[in-house]
Amino acid sequence: MQTNFTAEQLRDPDTAESNRILRTCVHCGMCTATCPTFLLLGDELDSPRGRIYLIKDMLESGRPASELEVRHVDRCLSCLSCMTTCPSGVNYMHLVDHARTYIEETYKRPWPERMLRGVLARVLPSPKLFRLSLKAAALARPLEPAIPGQSMLAQRLRGMLALAPKALPAPDPMQEAQVHPAEGERRGRVGLLTGCAQKVLNPEINAATIRLLTRMGIEVVITPGQGCCGALTHHMGQHERAMAAARANIRAWSAEIEGQGLDAIVVNASGCGTTLKDYGFMFREEPDAEDAARVAGLAMDITEVLEKFAYAPTRDEPAMTVAYHSACSLQHGQKITALPKQLLARAGFKVKEPAEGHICCGSAGTYNILQPAIAGQLRTRKLENIRRTKADVIAAGNIGCMTQLAGDAMPVVHTVQLLDWMAGGPRPEGLDGIG
Amino acid sequence: MSVISPETEQSLASAVARAHAAREPLAIEGRGTKRAMLRPTLQPWGPAARTLSTRNLTGITLYRPTELMIRARAGTPIPEIEAALAEHGQQIVAEPPDLRVLFGAEEPSTLGGVVSTNLSGPRRIMWGAMRDHVLGISAVTGEGEIFRSGGRVLKNVTGLDLCKLLSGAHGTLGIITEIALKVLPAGEATGTLALRVPDVTAGVAALSAGLGSPYGVSGAALVLEEGGITAFLRLEDFSESVTYRLGRLREDLAAHGEQSLVEDPRALWRSIRDAVPLRAAPEEAVWRLSVAPSHAAGVVASLRAAFPAKLLLDWGGGLIWVAGPATVQAHGAVMQAATAAAGTFTLFRAPPELAAAVPVLPEEALPLAAIGRRVKAVLDPAGVLNPGRLRA
Amino acid sequence: MIALPAPKPEILARRDAILADLARLLPADSVIGETLRLRPYETDGLAAYRQIPLAVVLPRTTAEVAAVLRYCHANGIRVVPRGAGTSLSGGALPLADAVVIGLMRMNTIREINYEDRYAIVGAGVTNIGITKAVEGDGFFYAPDPSSQLACMIGGNVMMNSGGAHCLKYGVTANNLLGVTFVTIEGEVIEIGGTHLDAAGYDWLGLITGSEGQLGLVTEVTVRILRGPEGARAMLAAFSSVEIAGAAVDAIIGSGIIPVALEFMDRPCIHACEAFAHAGYPLDAEAMLIIEVEGSVAEQDMLLDRIRGICAKFDPISMKVAESAEQSAAIWKGRKGAFGAVGRISPDYLCMDGTIPTGELPHVLKRISEMSAQYGLGVANVFHAGDGNLHPLIMFDANDPDSFRRAEAFGADILKLCVEVGGCLTGEHGVGVEKRDLMTTQFTRAELTLQRAIKSAFDPEWLLNTAKVFPLDDNPKIAA
Repeated sequence: MQTNFTAEQLRDPDTAESNRILRTCVHCGMCTATCPTFLLLGDELDSPRGRIYLIKDMLESGRPASELEVRHVDRCLSCLSCMTTCPSGVNYMHLVDHARTYIEETYKRPWPERMLRGVLARVLPSPKLFRLSLKAAALARPLEPAIPGQSMLAQRLRGMLALAPKALPAPDPMQEAQVHPAEGERRGRVGLLTGCAQKVLNPEINAATIRLLTRMGIEVVITPGQGCCGALTHHMGQHERAMAAARANIRAWSAEIEGQGLDAIVVNASGCGTTLKDYGFMFREEPDAEDAARVAGLAMDITEVLEKFAYAPTRDEPAMTVAYHSACSLQHGQKITALPKQLLARAGFKVKEPAEGHICCGSAGTYNILQPAIAGQLRTRKLENIRRTKADVIAAGNIGCMTQLAGDAMPVVHTVQLLDWMAGGPRPEGLDGIG
Repeated sequence: MSVISPETEQSLASAVARAHAAREPLAIEGRGTKRAMLRPTLQPWGPAARTLSTRNLTGITLYRPTELMIRARAGTPIPEIEAALAEHGQQIVAEPPDLRVLFGAEEPSTLGGVVSTNLSGPRRIMWGAMRDHVLGISAVTGEGEIFRSGGRVLKNVTGLDLCKLLSGAHGTLGIITEIALKVLPAGEATGTLALRVPDVTAGVAALSAGLGSPYGVSGAALVLEEGGITAFLRLEDFSESVTYRLGRLREDLAAHGEQSLVEDPRALWRSIRDAVPLRAAPEEAVWRLSVAPSHAAGVVASLRAAFPAKLLLDWGGGLIWVAGPATVQAHGAVMQAATAAAGTFTLFRAPPELAAAVPVLPEEALPLAAIGRRVKAVLDPAGVLNPGRLRA
Repeated sequence: MIALPAPKPEILARRDAILADLARLLPADSVIGETLRLRPYETDGLAAYRQIPLAVVLPRTTAEVAAVLRYCHANGIRVVPRGAGTSLSGGALPLADAVVIGLMRMNTIREINYEDRYAIVGAGVTNIGITKAVEGDGFFYAPDPSSQLACMIGGNVMMNSGGAHCLKYGVTANNLLGVTFVTIEGEVIEIGGTHLDAAGYDWLGLITGSEGQLGLVTEVTVRILRGPEGARAMLAAFSSVEIAGAAVDAIIGSGIIPVALEFMDRPCIHACEAFAHAGYPLDAEAMLIIEVEGSVAEQDMLLDRIRGICAKFDPISMKVAESAEQSAAIWKGRKGAFGAVGRISPDYLCMDGTIPTGELPHVLKRISEMSAQYGLGVANVFHAGDGNLHPLIMFDANDPDSFRRAEAFGADILKLCVEVGGCLTGEHGVGVEKRDLMTTQFTRAELTLQRAIKSAFDPEWLLNTAKVFPLDDNPKIAA
């Protein structure tokens, strides 16, 4: 596609990169078809192609972002379904990331919006603050129906309270910085990203990961100094905050890599995995570019690690049908599609894939808080498709999706919990009486 | 009644231009096989009326078997084209009926005739109508201007598709002088499964099951005789495929009725194509109704309640041939049945008195009829082409 | 940039009032009027041509479409219909004084009937959306343009779209039963129905492929077909395009009609393989994708025969898909071919002429000579069985001279297609792109006749003005 940047503009490496991306787009429109917001809203402006056009215009003009384009960029889930569809290989992810940063730098959001984003950016990545606020939310939960009005603020408040779990699990010391030694002969040594929000919401995911890996003879290292991967702030366009979080992780793991060494950095929240794998790009102009690239190169989804170390079940086949929900970050971000299903099938589960598996459930990081109406419609659509599979349980590889899909009739577990169970671990909570 | 039979497109165009200038109506025909179809064209003009025939515009002008295309002048008799195609194992896909028996005509239909009336046989259900295979035409407007639409290649969306507009317009919007047709290889073998069914509903259900099967049923008809009702399902393909698919079809349709295989399927389908099983008596009127197949049983019941209807169902039950008394009452019952079934009808053959007295086709919605008049005014401003053929 | 009709100054002057009127006619969030938000609507799949419209409306019902048309007709405002905006001929290119009517929100499937084998769907349902809705029950909607994932049935009707499988199953026109048609006056007319074949004039046939010149289609009744027991694709690679062309002739001549017969040349093979990882033969000059249908035994029988025929043409390799996934990957590459060329060139123009298949070697040779002459690369992908070519001319839109050469190269290819007995467009439509070449295929008198038929539907020439017919010699439009 034709672009109109000045030589001056192109000296900025981010603009140069966006120009390169825009030029690969041939405007064919294939991406529109698999975009969740285009499906719901039926407006070119809420499709990837329309957003690419808006972004192109915004970046070329060099003018500050305005509400008119921000509205449509904000509605993007960053699910990256468009990247799976795109025959031309347009890197929409890097383009929209650049746009979000540009918007954050040039556009002043109305104050309630600014405040909310500020709070989310501070609270979510910090397990301590997040735990506190969830406790507060639990207290406020009965107020949810009493919040009046259809304003965005009211919708968001109601949405947040609805997302907050009824009961908060106790903190699990397993997740703190330490080394979990391998059982039996050591076959490998991996770092584990324990994450931020996931740690608080569902410590069982990390616990199952650690149990399963150590049982398979893999030493699991939780390095001190690691924290949030940076994805949450990155997707809100808060570039510096995201870079700081990522840099802390890069330092922590680099020390470990240069010390005893790591075969992989395991990620069991695929949203984080997509970002970790992109560290190389994020730091391409930074002094620690090499370290970042090395960390990104070692980052692996838990299913990739299990495949690498030849996961094998030990229990008898359960009579259980699993609806596998493919998290966008896993299928579109990391292009991991068949592997989780193969592992579940190997473990003895009957695996079903819901229709429209490529369409986002609406979680998308903080999206279900910032865009509750669209997120709600996507959740309903997703749950309807899942229900049609008549499965017993939903398995997903991302905490965001799990939270989004919770609360319906079907229990939701992480893929690794099911795999751990079949390899000798405990039966995941909520599955009693099934199978 | 005098007949003009030009030997070139140019002289045909000149004849039309003269008629246009003189405001003299022309009856347009090929060999006149279907002269008795729809409304009598020139009755009001009496002996002064003239007929313009394409019978002398004959001959295949281009045949490229590997390009799946044959081109011929409009007056070329269908059997001549079929014979040329057969030499290369190909056929006219839509299987146009030979209506010599039905219309008591001596001469075979011409290519121009079957295209202008968009007449399709049993294969229509699977492979499309006559008009679907028209790749291009050369034609003459009511002002005597020659024009072309389409071409000779299999895919062509250049400009408005006047081929389709003229196919089925019964010569009222222009006179087709040459036609390029898509053709396909004829199936190596033909097989037909016959099922005895208790009634029309069960028969249509059997046909629907066959058409809803993955075996490529290329004919699905219901023959109603004194002795009972038989559903016929045809397969045409390589012989290994026909054998295999007939077997599968027999299994899939086992619950639909007592089965047998037809010994001479090609003869059977020729007779269905030509509406022979309808056994229409010379004095009777003949109608064709097109409905969604699931409406067929309702249509049949309401017709039978109105008059002693003879019936033949093709196209999975969607095409209903009807023969019955040539009366305004019977026609009224047909119109009513077609309307009730959200379908369409034509008074296909009737004595001129009846055809002139009733609408032989459904009326069009008013805005569409207005557009139709404007289109007619573009192509035939003086109204010289087949006046009164479709509507009074 | 192609010439567009001069905008009507009185319409541009009333812009704000028109926007306000439209907003009153339609529910909230249905009208777009800010220049910034109109810009993404300035083009479609042919991004080389661009024009920001006066307004965009996004109606949800036939009644809303009719209301907008009635209003535009009463006020002399031009209208440009738009589906998914995937047209490769600029069919949805706006005009500065036109209201774009986007039908993307009319995306519901109203009825599916297996007994009578039809589906009634909104104009904004995607082509693949119809098949997706019925495939669980073993049925499919046959026409399958390469953009089927995104393109919408309303656009398919307007362009009479084809696809890879139309050699056997026909194009859109052959798979329709009825449409809900809205005239420029805002009259809603049901044309056809759920039965086959009209008794009077074939309006359905005329409307199909009319590129928005006659009216808008808001709802479509399509035939759905039961799918075959199975299908399998094979690849056959050859050392020259001429030899591959001869193999195509031999296959068709043998009496086998494969359900699809597709051709790619070397540049296209490489681009598509990079996208689809389908195992395309990278050492070949030309490759055929040949698909057959039926039971496994029938597929084996047909593929054996086809292999036997191809073997006579000294193929570099032949490979039969061994699984449904392999077949899917083979098709993913083919269907993504246009976009995949975006990997090797920033921009392309996709031609769409059809030629008699016997002319294939000659035409391909000429195209490669022209490629050298214009100094622009070309990748060829096309439907070999029906002679519908898709040369993809590669250029760089940031270099104006390269675009001018690409346009001239494209025009030369299309003229060549007409010269050898073919046509300008097999399935993409004339649009704005090939408008000025219409005189190479039609006489002035023929174009005048077609224009007069358009006038019978749209006397004021408000509908998709500037498309299909050359602007000059047209008293209805001031260029």
